[in-house]
Amino acid sequence: MALLSKSSKAAVSDPLMSNNPISLQVLGICSALAVTTKLDIAFVMTLAVIAVLCISNTVISLLRKMIPSKVRIIVQLSVIASMVILTDLILQAYMYDISKQLTVFVSLIITNCIIMGRAEAFAMQNGPWRSFLDGLGNGLGYGIILIAVAFFRELLGSGTIYGYKVIPEAMYAAGYENMGLMVLSPGAFIILGLIVWAQRILGNVEEE
Amino acid sequence: MHSNRYTIIFTMLITMVLAFVLSSVYSSLEEQTERNFQADIKKNILSSLGFVPDENTSWTTENVEAIFKNSVISFVVDKNGDIVEGMLPEDIDPKIDNDVYPIYKKTTNGKTEGFAIPISGKGLWGTMYGYFAIEPDGATAKGITFYKHVETPGLGAEVDKPWFQQNYIGKKFVDENGALIGIQTVKGKVDESSDEAYHQVDGISGATITSRGLNKFLLKDLEIYNPYLVRIRKNYNS
Amino acid sequence: MEHYLSLITKAVFVENILLAYFLGMCSFLAVSKKVDASIGLGFAVIFVLTITAPVNWFIYGYLLADGALAWLGFEDVNLSFLRPIVFIAVIAAMVQLVEMVIDKFSPSLYQSLGIFLPLIAVNCAILGGSLFLVERNYTLMESVVFGFGSGLGWFLAIVAMASIRYRLRYSNVPAKLRGVGITMLLTGLISIAFMSFGGIQL
Repeated sequence: MALLSKSSKAAVSDPLMSNNPISLQVLGICSALAVTTKLDIAFVMTLAVIAVLCISNTVISLLRKMIPSKVRIIVQLSVIASMVILTDLILQAYMYDISKQLTVFVSLIITNCIIMGRAEAFAMQNGPWRSFLDGLGNGLGYGIILIAVAFFRELLGSGTIYGYKVIPEAMYAAGYENMGLMVLSPGAFIILGLIVWAQRILGNVEEE
Repeated sequence: MHSNRYTIIFTMLITMVLAFVLSSVYSSLEEQTERNFQADIKKNILSSLGFVPDENTSWTTENVEAIFKNSVISFVVDKNGDIVEGMLPEDIDPKIDNDVYPIYKKTTNGKTEGFAIPISGKGLWGTMYGYFAIEPDGATAKGITFYKHVETPGLGAEVDKPWFQQNYIGKKFVDENGALIGIQTVKGKVDESSDEAYHQVDGISGATITSRGLNKFLLKDLEIYNPYLVRIRKNYNS
Repeated sequence: MEHYLSLITKAVFVENILLAYFLGMCSFLAVSKKVDASIGLGFAVIFVLTITAPVNWFIYGYLLADGALAWLGFEDVNLSFLRPIVFIAVIAAMVQLVEMVIDKFSPSLYQSLGIFLPLIAVNCAILGGSLFLVERNYTLMESVVFGFGSGLGWFLAIVAMASIRYRLRYSNVPAKLRGVGITMLLTGLISIAFMSFGGIQL
C-alpha cells in the first residue's frame, strides 16, 4: 500500500484486530446487536455505520479549527445526527425492504458511542484524510464483529447463510432443528461473549 | 478562545447548512420513498392474491406497479356492501372516513379471479397486519399474507411462513347455510375426516394466543365485508 | 388500567429495552462494575425516560408528524424525517434542565444523581425509547407508562448485573473471559430468564 503512509495504514488496520472498537474498547454495541439476526441486514447496517463514521469524521476534522470549544459536543452531535438522517433517507429510497427491517436502529446510530468517541478523540486533533481513514478502520472493525455475530446467528438460528440454505434437508430429516434461541436476543449476547473470548485468546489480551 | 458572538454565529451557520442539506435531500428522495411504500403495500396485496415472483418478474418497484396496474382493480365499499363511487383506497383518510373499506379485485381479461381485503388485529405482542384473499365465489379463501407483526420468532412469527399460509387456500369461511363462520386454527393437525375440517387449518404449536387472535380478527374483518360478499355469493350462484 | 398494566409488564420484562433491544449497552457494561453506581444510574435512567417520553410525544405529535403543523396553517408539511435529530436535542436539553432543577432544589439528590445525568444524554436507551413510541403509535398516557416501564426494566437489568459481577470477584473466571466476555454471557442468561415472562398476558 504505497498510497498510505505507515501511520495512515495503522489508522485503518489497528481497529480491525488489535484495537477493535467493539470487542476491546467495548464501544458502540448498543444499536449493533439488534440487527444481527440475518447477514444481509447486518451487512447493510455495517455499510451505514462506515458511511456515517467516515463522513462525520471528515467533516468534523475539516471544521476542527473553527468549532468553538464551548459548543463542540453539540456541533459534533448535530453533524452526526444529520449524516444519520441522510443515510436513513437514502436507505428508504433505494433499499426499502432492508430499511424496513432496520427500523429505528438506523436512527440509533446517532447514539453509537464509536461515532461520538472517534469524533472527539481523533477527528478533533487530526487532519481530514487521516480522520477519514480512522473512520474507515473503526467502521470496518465494528463491521467485522457485527457480521461475525450475524453469521453464527443466521447459521444456527435459521440454517441459512445470506439467505441461502446451507443445512441439507437430510439433516432436518434426521432430527436436526434450528436453534430458536439464536434468533432471540440471548443468542446475540452469548455469541458476542464467545467471540470476544476467542478474540482475546488469539490476540492474547487481558482485562483488569 | 472564541468570543460569544463567534460561537453564536458559527452555531447558526452550521444549523443552517445542515438544515439546508437535509431538507434538499429529503425533498429530492421523498417521491421515491413514497413510491416504495406504496409498492410494498401492493406487493403484499399481490402475493395474497396468489402472484408469485419468478425470474422474469422479480418484485422490483417498477414490476409491482406494472402488475398491479394491469391486473388489479381497487375500489371502496361501505358498511352496506355498496361500492362508493369515485373513491379509491388511497383516498381514504382514517381520520374523517368511517365505514369505508378498500377491496382489491384481481381480474384477467375482464374475468374476476379473486378479492383481497386488509386484515389486522391483536396477536400476542402487538397488532398484526396482513391481507386475506377470497375466491370469486365469495366464500373460499384464496390466500393470506402478513406484512407487519411483532410475534415471537419461531412461534407466533410462523404466521408469515408459507407452510402456514398455504393451509388457508381452499378453506371455506361460510357454512352450508351461508352463515359466516370464519376460518379457525386448531391445535395440531386438522382431522380431515371431521365435518368441521372445511373451515379449519393446522395450528402453530406453542403459539396459542397468536392463533386465537388471528381467528378472532379474521372473523371480525370478514364480518365487515360480509354485506358485499353476500352479494358476490348470490351473483356467483345464480 | 389493565391495558397499562400489561404495557408496563411488557416494557419491564418481556421487551426489556436492554435485554431484548440491546439499548444502553455501553453504559451498562461500563457502570455495572459497581453496585452503588448502577443504582444511581438506574434511577437517573428511569427519571429521564419518564420525562423525555411524553415531551417527545408532544414534540412529535404537534411539530413533526405528517400534517402536525396544521395548527399553524401548514397542513402539508411533514417533518417526521427530522425526528432523530430533534429528539436527541430535546433529550440533551431536558437532561440539562433536570440537572439544573435538581441542583437548585435538592443538593443531596444532585450529589447522587448529578454525575450520571450528562452520561445519559447519549444513552441509546433514552433515544430508543422516544423512537419506539413513535414507531408504535403510543398515546400520551401510554408513552408515559412505556417510558417509566422501560426505565424500570433497564434499572433492574443493570442492578442485577452489578450484583452478579460483585459476586463474580470471588469466582475463578478464565483470564481471557474476564470483563466483557463473561458479562456478555451473563447478560445472555439474564435475558433468557426475563424472556420466560413471555407467556404472561394481563
